[in-house]
Amino acid sequence: MSVESVLFDILWDEFVLWSAFVAAITFGWLYHHSFWYRSDEDGELPNRDGIRVGFFPKHNDDIRLEVTWTVLPFLLIVYLTYISWAPLDATWTSTENGNHNAECDYDNPGYDGSNNRIADMETGIIESDCYHIIEITGQQWSWIFDCRDLGPDLCETDFTTAEVYGTVPRLMLKEGETYLAVMESNDVTHAPWFLELATKEDVLPGQQTALWLPITEGGDSIILCAEYCGDAHSVMAGILSVHK
Amino acid sequence: MSDEHHGDHHPSAWGPHDWEHNPGPPHNSWAPLILSMGFGTFLFSLASIYNWGELENASYIPLALVGLAVITAGLVVWWRQDASFDGSYEPRAVGAPFKNIQIRKVAMWVFLMSEMMIFSSLFSTYMRYRLGLTPCQEVFDSGNWVEGTSVVCFEPASHLIASSWYHLAPGAINTFALITSSFTIVMALKTAKRTDLISAERSKLVTRYLGTTWLLALLFITLKMVEWFIGFPMPGFLNDGHAIQSLYEEGYLINNDAYQNHHYVDAAGAHMMADIQVSATTFYVTTGTHGVHVFAGVIGLTYMTYKAHTGGYTPDNAASIEYFGLYWHFVDLVWVLVFPFFYLY
Amino acid sequence: MSRAALAILVVLAAMLAAPSATSVPSGVENVSQSGCGCHSGDNPNPSVTPSIEGLPETYNYSQTYELTVSFTGGPSDSSNINQGGFNLWVSDGELTVSDGTAQVNALDGSVTHTEAGNDQTSWVVIWTAPTTDRNVEFILHTNSVNGNAGGSEGSSGDMWNRLTVEVSAPVEVQEPVNPFVVLSVLIIVTAVLLAITLAYVFYRVSPDSFDWDTFAPWIAEWLTSTDHKRVGTLYFVQGLFFLVVGGIMALMIRIQLSVPGNDFLTQEQYNQFFTLHGTVMIFLAAMPLIAGFANWIVPLQIGAPDLALPRLNAMSFWLQPVSAILILTGIFSGGGADTGWTGYAPYVVSETAHVGTTMWIAGQIMLVASSTLTGINFLTTIAVMRAPGMGWMQMPLFTWSIFVANLMLFLSIPAWGVGLIQVYLDRVIGTAFYDVAAGGDPLLWSHLFWYFGHPEVYVVIVPAFGVISEVIATSSRRSVFGYRSMVYAMAGIGLVSFIVYGHHMFTSGMDPTLRFITMLTTMLVAVPTGIKIFNWLKTMHGGTLVYRTHTLWALGFLVTFTLGGISGMYFPSIAMDVHLHESYFVIAHFHYVLVGGTLFGFFAAIYYWFPKMSGRMMSEKLGTLHFLVAFVSYNAAFWPMHRLGVWGMARRHHTYFVTTDEALGALPMEAAGWNMFITVSAFIFAASTLILVVNMINTVIRGEDAPPDPWGGWSFEWMVASPPPTPSFSEIPTLMDANEHIANEPGAIARWFSRLMVAEEDIEEAMH
Repeated sequence: MSVESVLFDILWDEFVLWSAFVAAITFGWLYHHSFWYRSDEDGELPNRDGIRVGFFPKHNDDIRLEVTWTVLPFLLIVYLTYISWAPLDATWTSTENGNHNAECDYDNPGYDGSNNRIADMETGIIESDCYHIIEITGQQWSWIFDCRDLGPDLCETDFTTAEVYGTVPRLMLKEGETYLAVMESNDVTHAPWFLELATKEDVLPGQQTALWLPITEGGDSIILCAEYCGDAHSVMAGILSVHK
Repeated sequence: MSDEHHGDHHPSAWGPHDWEHNPGPPHNSWAPLILSMGFGTFLFSLASIYNWGELENASYIPLALVGLAVITAGLVVWWRQDASFDGSYEPRAVGAPFKNIQIRKVAMWVFLMSEMMIFSSLFSTYMRYRLGLTPCQEVFDSGNWVEGTSVVCFEPASHLIASSWYHLAPGAINTFALITSSFTIVMALKTAKRTDLISAERSKLVTRYLGTTWLLALLFITLKMVEWFIGFPMPGFLNDGHAIQSLYEEGYLINNDAYQNHHYVDAAGAHMMADIQVSATTFYVTTGTHGVHVFAGVIGLTYMTYKAHTGGYTPDNAASIEYFGLYWHFVDLVWVLVFPFFYLY
Repeated sequence: MSRAALAILVVLAAMLAAPSATSVPSGVENVSQSGCGCHSGDNPNPSVTPSIEGLPETYNYSQTYELTVSFTGGPSDSSNINQGGFNLWVSDGELTVSDGTAQVNALDGSVTHTEAGNDQTSWVVIWTAPTTDRNVEFILHTNSVNGNAGGSEGSSGDMWNRLTVEVSAPVEVQEPVNPFVVLSVLIIVTAVLLAITLAYVFYRVSPDSFDWDTFAPWIAEWLTSTDHKRVGTLYFVQGLFFLVVGGIMALMIRIQLSVPGNDFLTQEQYNQFFTLHGTVMIFLAAMPLIAGFANWIVPLQIGAPDLALPRLNAMSFWLQPVSAILILTGIFSGGGADTGWTGYAPYVVSETAHVGTTMWIAGQIMLVASSTLTGINFLTTIAVMRAPGMGWMQMPLFTWSIFVANLMLFLSIPAWGVGLIQVYLDRVIGTAFYDVAAGGDPLLWSHLFWYFGHPEVYVVIVPAFGVISEVIATSSRRSVFGYRSMVYAMAGIGLVSFIVYGHHMFTSGMDPTLRFITMLTTMLVAVPTGIKIFNWLKTMHGGTLVYRTHTLWALGFLVTFTLGGISGMYFPSIAMDVHLHESYFVIAHFHYVLVGGTLFGFFAAIYYWFPKMSGRMMSEKLGTLHFLVAFVSYNAAFWPMHRLGVWGMARRHHTYFVTTDEALGALPMEAAGWNMFITVSAFIFAASTLILVVNMINTVIRGEDAPPDPWGGWSFEWMVASPPPTPSFSEIPTLMDANEHIANEPGAIARWFSRLMVAEEDIEEAMH
């Protein structure tokens, strides 16, 4: 799998586990009944519930069972909601004293980078000392990355070529640093999908959106456009290149 | 097939429908097919004539007219089948729990439910922009503008309309016209139900009430056109000799990105320019949608007045007037919401 | 409380419930002008004369041309430090350079001079002609430089000018066809073909008495009929026809995606195909199929002579074929809608969206009208036209599902209708609802669309629930387990559907609070759906499962729908959704629900009710074959898409890229193989539908006669002959109840409703 987000992996594994559990119960039940209760083609068909044309048949219900399979799935849902809740902090953490603290103060003598780390192995939530701000602008049909005031050590942009996509912009970020992308569109809606970071957010014309990019692992990965934007939507790609 | 059941009475898909011998609505009608083709043609040619507000291809205008003509033809077929409806058949619920409810009345209430959603959506759009964009007055007062550059802000139409009694007059008269027409439609129903009159007398009265409703609805649309496009001159002693200008002349337009209002001139004589496209759009489309509903009412009333004139309404089928009345009251009610939101506040 | 006051309350409540947008646009920055970064001033100077030499009048495919770009005039002089510069942009083909005096600009592919080339007035550029039949435009900007750039004057005194040259394609490029001509031709051709087909069918029925006098009335009968069974058949035919059309589009899409970097379709064509595939499948195939069965079966099931308003019902139908023509118009004139079925603003109102988008919107406006009329009809019919003895809680579950579906549709579709009208007006008369520069909000469209869009997906699945409830119960020879909880679960789904739509907008920039709330509500959907699945399973318990084709489809539905339901649970978890959104995981999920749910459900319905509709029994052998082939190939086609989505395959992309480099974060190599596998499976799945068509034709021609109640159901449709006569019931039947309680006492709500709706005198009349 190309996704390297611990947060995503943890949730995914948990959900797959419960999916398998629910599927096993349902399908086990289904297959058992399909064979066990199949009719004997030659025999007389029983009619326990008084099925007869023009007659509403006898009720066939059991309130305890029905309540059971209302309550049990509900409890499972509550649990799944609970485990999906905590990672919201990572998705939309505040820019002031949130998981990523505040914007880096480069003049501060104590400044030594974002130093992000996985704070909690249970949830995969990442925390940082501070973050850097970069700008992403979408337009038909290319990405424009802007490092603002960041030096080439922290952020750099250029162009590179990729198979299928042709010439694409490249965003070079540093491992261990956390970035906040401030995004806007020049024309229609776009959405950068950072494949390896397992995240995306729409880029809208006329209003700003923001996206957290905590860079924890090195290597190159693709950035795609995930919100349909016209003719060349599918080749509106970019490369995220992470250096040490 | 129908022949077996109904003897010699051949049902006609063009109308008039023989309600007495074919109880129940017509088994065949050309109207749905014709109407659908008319709507399709009209929407198609309208979209071909204009693009982003610019006249793209005038050669489609005749086709748009053909579309409207086809729609009219469809309506004529539909009503030709209906015109003979004499109340000998009024579908009613047979089963519990709504036994004896008139089915068409229920259908009308259900229809009004979707109408409510339509106007709710339009109001949501309006509220979103009204609350989301800064009011032009506020921008002007704050002084954060430069002469010669347009500011995006919200300029409610009421700022123009409510600024003078004369500007407000068409809307105010319209309000009374609609409320009065709600009264006359009820009177038409009451009269049609009266059994103490001879039928010629009753028809005459019903025709008058429906005709009055029709006239009031037409007045509504006329005044709307005056307010939007035409404007009217005023005698000098009333308004310092200034004619009342239409919204069109004032420049309150859906494509005006450099709107100037005489209020927005500062002490130094500098003019603030505003991009009011969104404000004007919400105003015209919401009030316009209501206007289209009134217009649909006018078309319906034309048919009903004609039918009343030919003596078509009797106590047996007066319910038809009631169903139209439900719609008409609804249109009235919407205006009661539109008026304060768009004209006063 | 008066009715008017009541109505005001309802309006206010509706307004509160209606979608309202939350985000605030904070103004828009100007789109940067892509004009000339030229020296000195905004205006070109005519004293500079740019020229391009070496250009042919018409180019040959892929041929390379050596162009000499030069200029004369202006302050340029060989004694200057620098003499000039240029920028050459081309609309098609590729520009390269031959020496160090020029360079390629990576962003737009244009060529400009390098520092080394600053001291020249003529440069050499290589142009490789494109492989497509397009006229190519060259735009050349040149600067004539007086050489004082190093000094304090900067570029002042320099002059520039622009030259535009057009080179024709090898064959004459045809102007886009006039859509009106195409439309007219299509209408005529379609009408002629339809007429010939109908004439042939009619001729086959009785070859001896075939003449115009008998044929014309027969055609007219179909065109004008308001009978619910005939209109139902028309819907059914339309639905199947567009299922084929949409299916062909899906196969085109699959051919394009079978290998990475494929060019079977151009990106413009691909974008039209996936847009129209979505629109056609949902609005012109799934909804009419449902409406067809609802028309046929609901009046029979509740013992009504017809729908409440038969002529409006015919109107609902006839709006559909006309709107289909509008929706598809664009594709024949080369510019079909390419917005995705969601039609997000502001793209949908931008000039980059193809011209056919306007017609596509117009067609959908007519579909909204059609659905609204259908809603009026079915809500009214089901509410008040049930036969004596059939209270709300004695209604067959299929009728219940149609009621719930229409209620959802009816209350949500006006929002979309208004959105469509806004977009139509924006594109046609130039209103500014979604004009971002004027303060328009793109999210407003998303809200209006999804307020309708989410209930809509339940509208197409809930009727399938109804079918499955009927089929499983009848096949098991039992009454459905937990009839009441089935009804409440459906009603619950209907209610919840209105408050979950935000989960389509988790990555949209919508207010986080709203996103969080819809995450909670979305999770809730699993509960009523779970109740239904467990109830179906329990229905089989203790029964006697009679295996018929419809039974197989119902059991298949349970498998695929459960899987689709489970994968749906991944989306409300926002931290996962930000990865899965707009990926193939979404495609897999909703095809499991819409194909494995709705379509399988309605295949079951075809096998279940076709004997009733045609009077002939279908072949069980062909049916079983159809099920086996379709079930296997269907799962093979859609299951791998889950994995592709997680790997990072985006939806709505006309091409994709697989990497051989393990270190690069992109789709791995296996993705290509899986895509080919999916394409092959999709073709088998499509082919399996032919078995159904063959089976249906075969049945109509030489099937055995069907008895009134071939499967042993209890509701009224099994009481009348197959096919049912017109009128269906010689007299309105009365429903008996095998349970002991008395069912027909109106409840409190019904009594209140009756008082509201029935005039006093009518009540008195009814009492006497």
